[in-house]
Amino acid sequence: MKSPLKMGMNRLDSLFSKVFTPAWNPMYQLGGLSFFYFWIVAITGVYLFIFFETSITGAHASMEYISVQQWYLGGIMRSFHRYASAAMGVCVTLHLLREFAMDRYSGVRWFSWVSGIPLLWLLFASAIGGYWLVWDIQAQYIATTTAQLFDWLPIMVDPMASNFLNEAALSDRFFSLLVFLHIGIPLALLLGMFIHIKRITGARTNPTKGLAAGTLLAMLVVSLWQPALSQAPANLDVAVTTVGLDWIFLNPYTLISSWGPGQTWAILVGLSTVLTILPWLPSKRAKQSPVAVVDPDNCNGCGWCLADCPYEAVTMKEHDFKKGHQQSVVDPNLCISCGICAGACPSSSPFRHVDELTTGISIPGFHIKELLSLTESKLAELKPDEPRILVYGCDHGSVVDSMSSPSVATVSMPCTALVPPAFIDYVLRKNLAEGVMISGCCEGDCHYRLGNEWMNQRFDKERMPVLRTRVPREKVRLRWLGEQGTAQLAHEVSTFQADLSDEIASQPRESVHE
Amino acid sequence: MNRALGYLGQALCYTLFFLPLVYLSHEPTYRVLDDDTALLKLAVRHPGKIIGECTTTTESGQGMRPTSMAQVTEVCPRERSALQLQLILDGKTLYRDTVPASGLHSDGIASVYMQFEVPAGSHNLQLRMNDDEAIEGYPWQFEQDIELQPAQVMVANFKQGFRLQ
Repeated sequence: MKSPLKMGMNRLDSLFSKVFTPAWNPMYQLGGLSFFYFWIVAITGVYLFIFFETSITGAHASMEYISVQQWYLGGIMRSFHRYASAAMGVCVTLHLLREFAMDRYSGVRWFSWVSGIPLLWLLFASAIGGYWLVWDIQAQYIATTTAQLFDWLPIMVDPMASNFLNEAALSDRFFSLLVFLHIGIPLALLLGMFIHIKRITGARTNPTKGLAAGTLLAMLVVSLWQPALSQAPANLDVAVTTVGLDWIFLNPYTLISSWGPGQTWAILVGLSTVLTILPWLPSKRAKQSPVAVVDPDNCNGCGWCLADCPYEAVTMKEHDFKKGHQQSVVDPNLCISCGICAGACPSSSPFRHVDELTTGISIPGFHIKELLSLTESKLAELKPDEPRILVYGCDHGSVVDSMSSPSVATVSMPCTALVPPAFIDYVLRKNLAEGVMISGCCEGDCHYRLGNEWMNQRFDKERMPVLRTRVPREKVRLRWLGEQGTAQLAHEVSTFQADLSDEIASQPRESVHE
Repeated sequence: MNRALGYLGQALCYTLFFLPLVYLSHEPTYRVLDDDTALLKLAVRHPGKIIGECTTTTESGQGMRPTSMAQVTEVCPRERSALQLQLILDGKTLYRDTVPASGLHSDGIASVYMQFEVPAGSHNLQLRMNDDEAIEGYPWQFEQDIELQPAQVMVANFKQGFRLQ
């Protein structure tokens, strides 16, 4: 199931990257978009609350006033409130499916995955509360059906449904309770969202400005074209026969009506349980490599690995034996073995005058000295008939192994941000290759969240360790094309080689021999 | 990609995202109840009779009680009878069940809520309840011919006897 889903997601990614550009691609910002929609719902909700009347007759009438008399502001606010909540529901669902398809829910990522499950319930409960407050026939249907659902549980002493027997049974206090719940549950949702992103560095809680602007504009158009309106007022003395349902959130209600509350509980709780235990279910995925290890002899306490770790697995402590210095500490429960820390370590420089290259922090499965040895041995095999290219690729992005040729060497690793910029300098300075290509996951969608972003910043000299100015930029290319862009990357490598060939041909003969 | 074409594509994507979202926010309509059908609700909330006899306290027994309970002259068991309920429509039993008293010691109120979809029109409704395990049969009985309109909600509840609302 995961494979076709991943393929579908990759196709959508490519399509949206073309249309929106990778920076605005909504598929890479589903979490940020969910936060954005939450804030729209929260802000518009405050406005609606000012005019909302918490009484049986006042609830529906006040919503009508907001939508009809005050259509130019209140009506738009209401439409934003409603459509943003529905859009949040869609984004959250896509976010869940995407993380599942991309295999980003197990290992140390279990926390974000599991903490997301209660958020689904809280989001659902928040939305239901909102529909309920309007007190139209949809609210009436929700009220009586929710009562059926809860009355099935053996914990209810007095049936909840007895509150909705008829008009005489309903009280104004019920609406006060609903308002309290409709504010309290979203606050709990917000707290849950904060916990959900607690273990990740630099979580994207906002979409890019362009995407946010486009979303707001689209919502404004939709709100003017199809404003959210109430249905006929609720009347508990008359049963609801047909109702216009919001199928985004209320689809479980049709299950309650047709299959009964017991089976609906079984489905909802069963599904939540399966989702919760999913990270620990047997899978074909490769076992995680051993976590990063700190070498105190080579750690100078600079903290660059701490700044770059995408999962807050690195902290600092007092150095084991250098007084007044600090050293990095890796929390094995949080480390995902991406190796980005090794790429950030200033000690990971092949120019160091040491017998055997070592570094302050590295992952045992792909130590920096192994990367150097692999790089050197692969480059040594290349034939100088054409410009020699070194392609560094990541195991989750474009498949680089297939691009190997007599003049192209490829090295794949967990994440290309594992490559210290000094390695590129080293390869070109030692004339081991004429060009270096760095590839990986799609721009904005790194498997380890921040790898390609950090590499871009290191190359643009915005993040330590930087790629030194002396490295000729025309001999280095960064291409973030992802797994789906493997064919395009092969084409890019050929183009790179041709460009280097032209450049070499255009240089004076003496300088070529140099 | 040409910038204008890109914006056009984005507009199309937003449309494709919001169009189903707007449509699904109220369509397709869902049929909850068939035409020419009414709802009959049975909602009873009633404490069953206490099971067992109350006993009068003796003077010596009163002396052993806390002073706040000195005035207590009678001690009763806590457990209450379950309710035996029956709802018969046009001679056909739609509901027949025993509703236990709530609480760990079965000393609370027994509550039941049921709803039945019935065809609109004239019906004969009978309600029966026994709230005392010590006696046989149904001490509480109610019978009435009723006329139900389509989509009408009729509530049968109990307050010192069955009544319809």
